Amino acid sequence: MGAWDQRENYVREGKPSYLDERRFTQVGRSVPRIDGPAKAKGEAVYTADMVLPGMVYGKIKRCKEYAHANIKKIDCSKALALPGVLAVLTGDEAPNKWGIVPASANETALAVGKVRFYGEGVAAVAAIDEETAEAACDLIEVEYEPLPALLDPFESMARAGEVNIHENAPDNILHKGDQIYGDVDKAFEKCEYILEKEFKTGRPQHGYIEPMSAVASYDTQNGLLHLWASSQVPHYLHRQMSIVLEMPMSKIRVTLPAVGGGFGGKGEAAASEFVACLLSRKIGRPVKVTFERADVFYTSKGRHPCYMKWKIGLDKDGYIQAVDFDNTMDKGAYAGWGVVVMFYTASMVHLPYKVPNARSLVRNVYTNLPTTGAMRGLGGVQPRFAMECMLDELAEMMGISPYELKMKNAIDSGYTAINNMYVPHTEYKKCLQTAVEKSGYLEKHGKLPFGKGIGLAGGYYISGTAYTLYQSYKPHTSVTLKVDTEGGVTVLCAAAEIGQGCNTVMAQMAAEALGVHYEDVHVQTGDTEIGSFDLGSFASRLTYASGYAINEAAREINFKLREMAGGLLGCRADHLEIKDRMIYSMFEPKFKIEWATVVQKYVNSVGALSAVGHFSPPRRKGIDIITGNRIQGANIGHSPTFGFSCQIHEVEVDVETGRVYVKKVTEAGDCGTAVNPMSVDGQVEGSIMFNMGACLYEDMKFDAKGKHLNPNFHDYKCPTFMEMPDMDTNIVDSYDPTAPFGVKETGEGAVQPTFPAITNAIYDAIGVRFYQVPITPEMILKALKEKKEKEAGCGCGCGA
Amino acid sequence: MFMNNFEYFAPKTPGEAFELVGRLGKKAKILAGGTDLVILMKDKIVSPECLIDITNIEEFEGIKYEPGKGMVIGATTKNSEVQYSEIVKEKYYALAYAAGEIGSSQVRHMGTIGGNSCNASPSGETPTPLVALGAKVIVSSAAGDREMPLEDFITGVRRIDLKEGEILTKFVLPEPAPKSASRYAYMGARDANEIDCVNMAVNIELEADNQTVKSVRLVMGSVFVRPLVSAAVPALLNGKKFSDELVEKAAEAAQGEAKPITDIRASEEYRHTIVGVLARRLLKEAFAAAQEV
Amino acid sequence: MKQLISLEINGHEYDVPVSPRDVLADVIRKKVGLTGTKKGCGMGDCGACTVLVEDKPVLSCITLAITCNGKKVTTVEGLTLPDGQLNPLQAAFVNHGAIQCGFCTPGMLMSASGLLKRTPKPTLYDIKHEMSGNICRCTGFKRIIGAIELASEAMSKGVK
Repeated sequence: MGAWDQRENYVREGKPSYLDERRFTQVGRSVPRIDGPAKAKGEAVYTADMVLPGMVYGKIKRCKEYAHANIKKIDCSKALALPGVLAVLTGDEAPNKWGIVPASANETALAVGKVRFYGEGVAAVAAIDEETAEAACDLIEVEYEPLPALLDPFESMARAGEVNIHENAPDNILHKGDQIYGDVDKAFEKCEYILEKEFKTGRPQHGYIEPMSAVASYDTQNGLLHLWASSQVPHYLHRQMSIVLEMPMSKIRVTLPAVGGGFGGKGEAAASEFVACLLSRKIGRPVKVTFERADVFYTSKGRHPCYMKWKIGLDKDGYIQAVDFDNTMDKGAYAGWGVVVMFYTASMVHLPYKVPNARSLVRNVYTNLPTTGAMRGLGGVQPRFAMECMLDELAEMMGISPYELKMKNAIDSGYTAINNMYVPHTEYKKCLQTAVEKSGYLEKHGKLPFGKGIGLAGGYYISGTAYTLYQSYKPHTSVTLKVDTEGGVTVLCAAAEIGQGCNTVMAQMAAEALGVHYEDVHVQTGDTEIGSFDLGSFASRLTYASGYAINEAAREINFKLREMAGGLLGCRADHLEIKDRMIYSMFEPKFKIEWATVVQKYVNSVGALSAVGHFSPPRRKGIDIITGNRIQGANIGHSPTFGFSCQIHEVEVDVETGRVYVKKVTEAGDCGTAVNPMSVDGQVEGSIMFNMGACLYEDMKFDAKGKHLNPNFHDYKCPTFMEMPDMDTNIVDSYDPTAPFGVKETGEGAVQPTFPAITNAIYDAIGVRFYQVPITPEMILKALKEKKEKEAGCGCGCGA
Repeated sequence: MFMNNFEYFAPKTPGEAFELVGRLGKKAKILAGGTDLVILMKDKIVSPECLIDITNIEEFEGIKYEPGKGMVIGATTKNSEVQYSEIVKEKYYALAYAAGEIGSSQVRHMGTIGGNSCNASPSGETPTPLVALGAKVIVSSAAGDREMPLEDFITGVRRIDLKEGEILTKFVLPEPAPKSASRYAYMGARDANEIDCVNMAVNIELEADNQTVKSVRLVMGSVFVRPLVSAAVPALLNGKKFSDELVEKAAEAAQGEAKPITDIRASEEYRHTIVGVLARRLLKEAFAAAQEV
Repeated sequence: MKQLISLEINGHEYDVPVSPRDVLADVIRKKVGLTGTKKGCGMGDCGACTVLVEDKPVLSCITLAITCNGKKVTTVEGLTLPDGQLNPLQAAFVNHGAIQCGFCTPGMLMSASGLLKRTPKPTLYDIKHEMSGNICRCTGFKRIIGAIELASEAMSKGVK
């Protein structure tokens, strides 16, 4: 049909084409996803679709009685006696602790001795079919000794002496850290405008539509284990398997079939994977474990609720002088990504505005609720919500537009934050300008009728991390490019296609780098044995990291092909350009030969071509750039480059029912070069709806004992088609000269401004500021009532 | 999430169905679409030994309208049929609209209007407008038929006046009065796939002067164990000239009658507020619509 | 306990032994082997399992397979043209960027097929209202709506 958005390629005027590094033919095209047709035909194979010969099914028995209890006894005898049951498994058979951050690893495949949240797995069954496995789980008898359930981080800290969730955390705190840069108190003394507020965020979950699934096949003869899993981190999963199964990584292979979304929730190993592997090893047959939606709600590690205290000070001209941030986070039951997420919240105060003095006191506290972890925009969403709302409020205090205040404080390219975070390139101001112009923000803000409002917010996110989650100096991504006369071009990389489109983008970048068409490129990702090393899909890292490695590998291949072509054409190899399946002299048009011909000559005379490229990010240290002191946890937050965005939301508030309707969203994003603009738009549109959900509708709820009240999609309310606003997304012209092809991230930056943009719009509509999400209709009505009462006065004549 | 094993029966005639229902008694549940029953069974809230699928019986299905007499809707008529029916839209607007707001398109194509009432969930969509429109149900068995107003048929949360051996087979709607109109509204957290925190239907009839309310019926859903028919609203409005002040009073009166609870979906207080809002809006909407008839 | 039922799936007759409790999604996926139909929630809340029964969209994860005995069922595999080409709706989804992770896609396509069979020229409201039983977490819905509009246009011009 060819109906997709045909944007111009990024062609610059006034430069000879061979000197223009932005003259792309494959990068910058809105080509359809390469995995699209198989998905549209129902032919894409997801893990739950797999059937292996002899395969049986596993199910997990969960604790549905308590959120916190000692396990006194597990009796599996009745389950084992059920016809069709092949094996049972309990936690003490695999007691090794795993965790994506090795220092805080404290989770086991199944509970050992104790359950710490409602729905935790206590045993598992392998049986000839799912029905039997489920029936067997019901026959497992578990005796518990209930313990008080701590459902709030403050209660958890206060009662730590009496109730302890983890033995090695006597204060019930996973980790805490202080990051102090400059002299915050002194800076506040000189401030003209100071605002102090407290914020709280809810407990949303990813809601990917594909529940986790794992198929494991253990070969008893050679001791090899093959795991197929719906994961976004095949490498980290591989490591955790090795720890829990006590097998060398070289004996384990992880393969990703098609993955139905992740958003961070598949960014750690899952019980489905451990249980499938352990059961398969136990019975020597392939085992499949597929989660029900409720299993996902119990175990998938959603966003940390944050209880934040903020103080921001501006000088008389509106320049930010100091930020004081105190964050208490609800960790839930296990560590997971917790330490990392916590220090990300601290790093987020340093961008996208210039902050000369900053203090972040952060702590991550265990509770008996589902473990929190990585969720789209990890560590950024909560502080961004607060900062962007407070700047809106400070602008009002100053009597200027929030746009003016944000433009005034926005960073420029080449900025180094006080914690040594370096931003090589930014078009943040262009994002603000574009969104403001396209939405008519300045004409509307403060001028719409009561009940209608417009709100602006900005944000940024990392394009990858500086460090691995365990001590390592190896490259974060390696890509093997294989060029031959049979397969054409093949990209081999153990990255994870989870729906974000990395395979398509990698094909485009490889095609660009090699001078062929993206249709000529085959991408093989998601296999730890076939692909070259990659850390996985998180931290919006893959476009940059794989692009870098692809370029490096392509340079080697292009060098060899140029030499061969130079010989064939009788001209200097370094005069040759490779583009559009041709190799030609940039000076003499007559020297021209087809790329495929040169490949054939090369293969005939030398052999097949292959090259490996690597990417290692700059290892910037988190230091106080004034004193030079190292700061605990401050290595977290650095990135090779950063993406920026601005969103303007227009809302209508039904002041009688409290319902908030987001009518129009105008977005402008700096993602560097958009490798695939259609894909970028898709990521941004998805991001807006994703966090609109967590801002207005989505929240996991629990009763007073920690029982999950809405582990399903009818009471956990994701936005539907009906909630979708009109969305105008804009990619601002941007090119990061330090990045491969000039690229940055777009998968997580675009979720950052959504909470505050909606919250600021609600304020503009009804004059009430909210400091908590999700903002429910009941909260709106209550606030309107209070506002009305306040405006009417207290009745005593004091004027209050 | 697997259901218990059960025996399945799919009678083709009313006679076969009555025989089965009579013979199996409490062991059996009637399957009439299953969008609620199957969920309850998957959740193991109910585990019947037998299911009697009545959706293959032609006599229990379909929409029949006779001008001047009214409409008969078979119990196994799909909600989507009610939603799309031009005659339902024309004559019983509130019902067509409510049927179109049930769950999702798929649920409307699967679920039946009889099932929606027999499920007897306080937040059910179609019972509210059906009661407002004066619908009666026909409950049939081998012994014959019983007829009663729908508000008497639904007796409580998941409780209906269905005796052993009986099946709900039809809804009978009276011909709408000449100068009348009906409207339906609901409130939930989002605008689709919602379990209403409050729903409401108003059926209003005007005198020839186009101003005076001849009679009004306001029914509330999700604020009581079953559809709640307001007694206070007709007492305030019948025989009076419609005015904004009267609407305010009527809305307050409706709020006074509602007995909502707090649950995961909404608080008692919020539901209370919404009753007032929907009453105000619906009375005005229905009044304006009736003036146009 | 098992009973033999006959399903006409995508134009082909399948005789399948089922227990009364077997839901259509499991029968299609496990017994017939057509895994294009997905299970996202198992409780009829997400729409990923949507198939057409007698051309009407239903949730196969809460439909008893036995109730479909003798009926015509269409799954996502049945949309693809006999020569393996994408039908206009599938093509529009691919080309318009309406597919990311793809797990909701089969259900989206089936709901959209049901919609377009009933309403060949749907308005924006028709699309939103009739598609709202299908949840997508990746795309933000916009491109799915665009794809349905494109498909409607193409089909009205007779594109097959």
